Amino acid sequence: MSQDVAASGRMEIRDLSITYRKPKSDEIFTAVDRVSLTIEKGSFVTIVGSSGCGKSTLLLAMAGLIPRAAGSITLGGAEVTKPGPDRAMVFQDASLLPWRTVHGNVRFALELQRWKRDDIDERALRYVRMVGLAAFADYHPHQLSGGMRQRVNIARALCVDPDVLLMDEPFGALDAQTREVMCDELLRIWERDKKTAIFVTHAIDEAIFLGDRVVVMGRNPGHVREVIEIDLPRPRTSAMLDSPAFVAYRRQLREYIAADLLALQMVEALV
Amino acid sequence: MTALTSTAPVARIHREPFFKRHHRPIVSTLSVLCFLLLWEVAAMQGWVNARFTSQPTQVYKAALVIFAKDDFAWHCGVSFVSFALGFAMALAVSIPLGLYLGVSRRGRLFIEPPLMALYTAPRIVLLPILIVWLGIGLGSKVAIVFLGAVFPIMVNTMAGVRGADHRLLTAARAFGATRMDIFLKVLVPGSLPAILMGVRLGVGRGVLSVVVGEMFVSEAGIGHQIMTYGQAMQFNNLLVYAFTISLFGYGLTVAVRMLEDRIRSWRPSA
Repeated sequence: MSQDVAASGRMEIRDLSITYRKPKSDEIFTAVDRVSLTIEKGSFVTIVGSSGCGKSTLLLAMAGLIPRAAGSITLGGAEVTKPGPDRAMVFQDASLLPWRTVHGNVRFALELQRWKRDDIDERALRYVRMVGLAAFADYHPHQLSGGMRQRVNIARALCVDPDVLLMDEPFGALDAQTREVMCDELLRIWERDKKTAIFVTHAIDEAIFLGDRVVVMGRNPGHVREVIEIDLPRPRTSAMLDSPAFVAYRRQLREYIAADLLALQMVEALV
Repeated sequence: MTALTSTAPVARIHREPFFKRHHRPIVSTLSVLCFLLLWEVAAMQGWVNARFTSQPTQVYKAALVIFAKDDFAWHCGVSFVSFALGFAMALAVSIPLGLYLGVSRRGRLFIEPPLMALYTAPRIVLLPILIVWLGIGLGSKVAIVFLGAVFPIMVNTMAGVRGADHRLLTAARAFGATRMDIFLKVLVPGSLPAILMGVRLGVGRGVLSVVVGEMFVSEAGIGHQIMTYGQAMQFNNLLVYAFTISLFGYGLTVAVRMLEDRIRSWRPSA
């Protein structure tokens, strides 16, 4: 029993491959190639890579939204085959129902997971408050700024009390200042109960600032290039962004990603 | 002190002039008045033959007589009942069918060819057949209204479902939505604006159909009266009925549009 509890938020990915059949041809395209990764319970793992490296695909597979060609994903020892209440996903912009209010959008997730009717409104409101949108509970998404919409997105994912929080470039559509504020906010919320968090981004600073570990992915086909432990104390503050350690991590990650791009260009030059 | 003076300009209510505030209704009313005036003057001055073009004042006089006699309310009632029955049936069939076709590819493939043939052909060509099937009277009229209204609503409903934002579907699935959840909580509410647009188009088609139907297959109703007065060259009387039916259609269209605006309040306004 105690074994189960300890394993509940631990995600294991073994030799995972994901392939697509290209539309209008029989060509098979490998998006993710033999990826292995262990994500400890309560850790914050960020995944970076240039576009097309399969990082979002990998995340969708963890969510159980796309089928695997080979390998396995287990969460708390159980095989992940379809979406489940143990995982919740924060999407990029525009995944909120435009006809529902802020409160209604958070409630939506609870409705889908069949929470009991009597406390559903109260619970949704509590999470709206937690992301600082109490005054905007009755607003519709189009009346909010991009940052506020992502707060709703986060509230929606957290309110169902998942073991693992999956985030697919949640701040990708925001301006630089808002991004920083949102990163701070996300960490503040995450520090409370330290759910296992997996965060996909193409922004290097974001990846270092948020993560305990940064997974660098490369392209053609998508694979794990490096995994870097980020040895910065928590709680993280924006002052750390200019610390020597942070700068060193940034340089290291840039080199990995640049090397990946360079390798690709050489392949293209040969073809 | 400084705070007080700085808030003063904000506190002053900026009021736009009367004309600017009521821009739309004023211009619309003016347009109608101009048209009526030109019509009246043209007939009065002999620019056109008032015998064939009628005249607003003549129509007004005719209207007073028709409202008093001519069983005006009864004819309107006859038309309204045909319209209401046909339109209600159209709603009951087109919305569920449109929703189904929106989600079922096989259903779409199966039904699309005959659907499109019927949608683009003028339904009025079926009238002679309908008369044979259903006789002259209510049945044929209801059928023709039904056929007029059913297609625009069905086609728009289908398009609304198919046009659903796939990002919303993915988000719903990630939270474990069943197919029924997705249908009821994402597809149906998401296609409501498209459904209402179809209803608005359907109103126009339905009103047209009831009049045309009554011209040929009825002993009463607005369309029947229009036909009768047309054959007798009594254009003043004819126009009274013509205005009545267009007012009805216009009113209903405006009502649906108001409903659309309400439902769209969650959308960016401009």
